Amino acid sequence: MARPHIEPFVDRDVPFRKFTMPGFPKGMQYKMLSLDPDNGACTMTVMFEPGYRQPPGMSYSEYELFIMTGSITVGDKVHGPGSYFMVPAGIAIGALSSPRGATGLLFYNYGEPSFVESDSDHPRAERSKFAVVNAYDDMQWSSTNFFPATAPGCLVKVLHFDERTQAFTFLYCMTPNFWQDNISYHDCAEEAYHIWGTSWMMQFGDLPTGGYFYRPPYINHGAFGCKLGTLALGRTDSRLYNHFHFNPWTNVEENRQRAANRVMHWMPDLYKWINTHGHNHPVDFEFPHGHAHGDTPHHHGDGKVEHTHKRKRRRRK
Amino acid sequence: MKSIPHKRSREVEAWLRREIAEQKVRYRKIVAEQDALAPKRDKWVAEFLERIQTRGTHVHFNMMRKVRPEEIPVRPKRKFRVVF
Repeated sequence: MARPHIEPFVDRDVPFRKFTMPGFPKGMQYKMLSLDPDNGACTMTVMFEPGYRQPPGMSYSEYELFIMTGSITVGDKVHGPGSYFMVPAGIAIGALSSPRGATGLLFYNYGEPSFVESDSDHPRAERSKFAVVNAYDDMQWSSTNFFPATAPGCLVKVLHFDERTQAFTFLYCMTPNFWQDNISYHDCAEEAYHIWGTSWMMQFGDLPTGGYFYRPPYINHGAFGCKLGTLALGRTDSRLYNHFHFNPWTNVEENRQRAANRVMHWMPDLYKWINTHGHNHPVDFEFPHGHAHGDTPHHHGDGKVEHTHKRKRRRRK
Repeated sequence: MKSIPHKRSREVEAWLRREIAEQKVRYRKIVAEQDALAPKRDKWVAEFLERIQTRGTHVHFNMMRKVRPEEIPVRPKRKFRVVF
């Protein structure tokens, strides 16, 4: 099972707690927003207490950090509100400190939080994918470029785009008096946190400042409204497509069926190929082979895509 | 490389178990709160179905179309779930 549907959850209703995960220095507090029971991947609101210090180190999982208030210093550079870090697994970042404290959002995308003191990257780390940007100062708002698109007044700044999964992390805002009268669902999981402002959805009511959701695929959300404007951080786990409709009562299975039917009409040749090959094991020539690395979902004619292969031992010559 | 294989310590396993248990409690609370919201939600849905016939439903960006009365879906008899 992946992460459950957590929507809505307002973290202002719960206090910070000391983060006691082994390996991490003292002085960090957290509120758990959502957690994958299988692999420990999670999203947390975090607070670095004034005077927090962390030596150079790495994580076994890719993680993302967004600073909401205060500032942190990494190496000799100060990062204030709006700073965003994409840190691939195994990348060692410099000593981190927060002399006056900070709050942020911390996303461990593929495994439980981990910290290993190190001043050099893990041999399997992909340094080229490390990124730091200040979303407030260095980037400008743009309309969403999905098709079909959200209504005018929903603007984004894309902070990270994964070229393989098309997962992306984005700052978004809704302008005052934004409204969108349709219902949407996606093929991807989606999560978001309200940095400031209240928005409304027909299913869940108001989501205020500090509001959060983790929404698995194919769950209806919308119509949408926002009276005074909202600033939020969002993230998907794969490609986002807006399946719009206006039936408030459809369920996950019906939405998934509809999405599959749409794929059948949009990509008939590919759909047929997927359904008629017994050993369905598509390989992307741009990426490593799935069997070797276990990262490509595929099945062996039985439809079970969530399985693993043991590594073959190499014979000594 | 999204994650690097490693072994979890007992302390980490214990931390995860605690968090998973707390998340189950959080999930049940959300479901109860959302069930309690049902009367308001029914009103919002009725207003939505009215608006899409008069002002229209968003199809793409600022493109809208008015929904004909015969296109309005009929509410099924099953429970209206919003949290899955």
